[in-house]
Amino acid sequence: MSLEHANFLHIAIVGIISVIILYTILSARGGKQLFIRRIPGLAAIDEAVGRATEMGRPMLFSTGLSSVDIYTLQALAIAQHVARLAARYGNRLIVPVVDPVVFAIAEQLVREAYASEGKAEAFHSEDVRFLSGEQFPYAAGVMGLINREQVASTFFFGYFYAESLLLAESGQEVGAIQIAGTPATTQIPFFLASCDYTIIGDEYWAASAYLTREPTLLGSLVGQDIGKALLLLMVVIGTATAVPGMPLHFVYGWLARWLFGG
Amino acid sequence: MRARQWAVIVVIYVVGGAVGALALWALTHGLEPLFTPARGTAFYLAVAAAVALWGFGTFLVHRLPATAKRRIIILATFAAGIFYPLEFYLPARSGIFFWRTSHTNPFSPMMLTVGNAVLVIYGFTFFLGAFSLSLVHAKNVAARRRGYYNSIAFFVAFIAMAVFGLWQNYAPADQMLFKHFLWIRSLTVQQVHGYLFNDMYVPLGATLFSVLAFYMATAAYRAFRVRSAEASFMMVAAFLVMLGQVPLGMWLTHNLPQAGWLSGLRMENIAAWILGVFSMAGLRAVAFGILVGGLAMSLRIWLNLERGAFFEQEL
Repeated sequence: MSLEHANFLHIAIVGIISVIILYTILSARGGKQLFIRRIPGLAAIDEAVGRATEMGRPMLFSTGLSSVDIYTLQALAIAQHVARLAARYGNRLIVPVVDPVVFAIAEQLVREAYASEGKAEAFHSEDVRFLSGEQFPYAAGVMGLINREQVASTFFFGYFYAESLLLAESGQEVGAIQIAGTPATTQIPFFLASCDYTIIGDEYWAASAYLTREPTLLGSLVGQDIGKALLLLMVVIGTATAVPGMPLHFVYGWLARWLFGG
Repeated sequence: MRARQWAVIVVIYVVGGAVGALALWALTHGLEPLFTPARGTAFYLAVAAAVALWGFGTFLVHRLPATAKRRIIILATFAAGIFYPLEFYLPARSGIFFWRTSHTNPFSPMMLTVGNAVLVIYGFTFFLGAFSLSLVHAKNVAARRRGYYNSIAFFVAFIAMAVFGLWQNYAPADQMLFKHFLWIRSLTVQQVHGYLFNDMYVPLGATLFSVLAFYMATAAYRAFRVRSAEASFMMVAAFLVMLGQVPLGMWLTHNLPQAGWLSGLRMENIAAWILGVFSMAGLRAVAFGILVGGLAMSLRIWLNLERGAFFEQEL
């Protein structure tokens, strides 16, 4: 059933979670100290950049197959961090992109990252390149780059489809250390099988907060966790009321009539 | 945060809301012709006016100081981002739309127009991508780098596909490209495009897709190597699911009854239970996390709470 306009429940859930997230962001900005646990995949980014530098081989960062959306923007935030590390260690970061809009943003971000480390001259504009707007031509282009450049580290962050395994296995073939993170649940198993580190689920969103430790992002992360706890509570209450025979089952009919007029 | 910054935030959002409301009013009060395709002289006039407006706007933006540019970005992001939430969260029909005789959501009819406008803006960036790609390959050819002949192949393919792709849209169906050329006889433009697209491009894509089957085998081999308790658990689960999908697995337990508690031990039911209960629960948990994270990210972008927008001293 498609939802053309939000119902009361939808507005209430999104509204409450949004208010919680905004509150935690503002309280974090106000100086509240927040803790974020260690995420091995993200901690390994430094190791991957260092290893590539020691080997004298470049790195590759793919931002996935989607256009400018929240998944790609998050991937670009991580790409900027990796580019900054690459500039600091004097290494090359190749960023092949599938979308011309993302190409413009990615080029600017990587250029800024090199400039912020005082290495503006080390940035080569052809290292950020548009390969193709199509899935398999893009995959073929990235596979070619991985093999020709013999990259030492690969980073796959963004929304991937069937090409995920093609890219990750190409990285395996050249012996690259591989770190991947995707919100595409169908592609997570492929990355798990082929990559050294895989960031799954909402760790993907935690990446920018983890890497920058910026209060706004940390506050947002805490708000997300409270939101998830709220949803978990709803699942428990829903199960307790919706299953016939459960003590609170009588509430279900009443709730359904009140919320949906059913 | 300083009081001045809060004041700026409020002013920006009020102005952003007003710009959005003005756009809404304009769209519903006679400006639809601006968003419908023009023909003939009107088309050329519209293109010239759009280019002039774009040039003037770009000139103005370039003249502005960095702070003003940042505020314009904030304003534009907020005004653009408010459209879809308003369309979705406001009801399809309600008394709150008192100024409309039908009392219907005023944003819904504009979905197509706004979608088209986004597509048009997106279309401009395609040239940027094509330029980047051509530049990289032109440098390869000019410097005679290793494998430069691949770059020449790129230009040949790019030009051929662009020419025949555009030409076949406008050429009459019976227009011959040539009547006799060596041993090839009477090819139409559509036929050449068909050879390039259906007989070369599509099979190449399918070939790459088929490589996936071999990569799956190598990835599965690595994933199922028993190295830890988790890997062993995954291997056993995967083995049961695979067995439940093939006739051999079903044959192994075909003597068990179709109904009753013993039916749960039939291989296809074990596979369905692992997929529908264990795997699905995990996937839904991941999906919940991703969606709530997406909401937080969208809020931060829409309200410009990301780095350097409101909370830095630049504003």
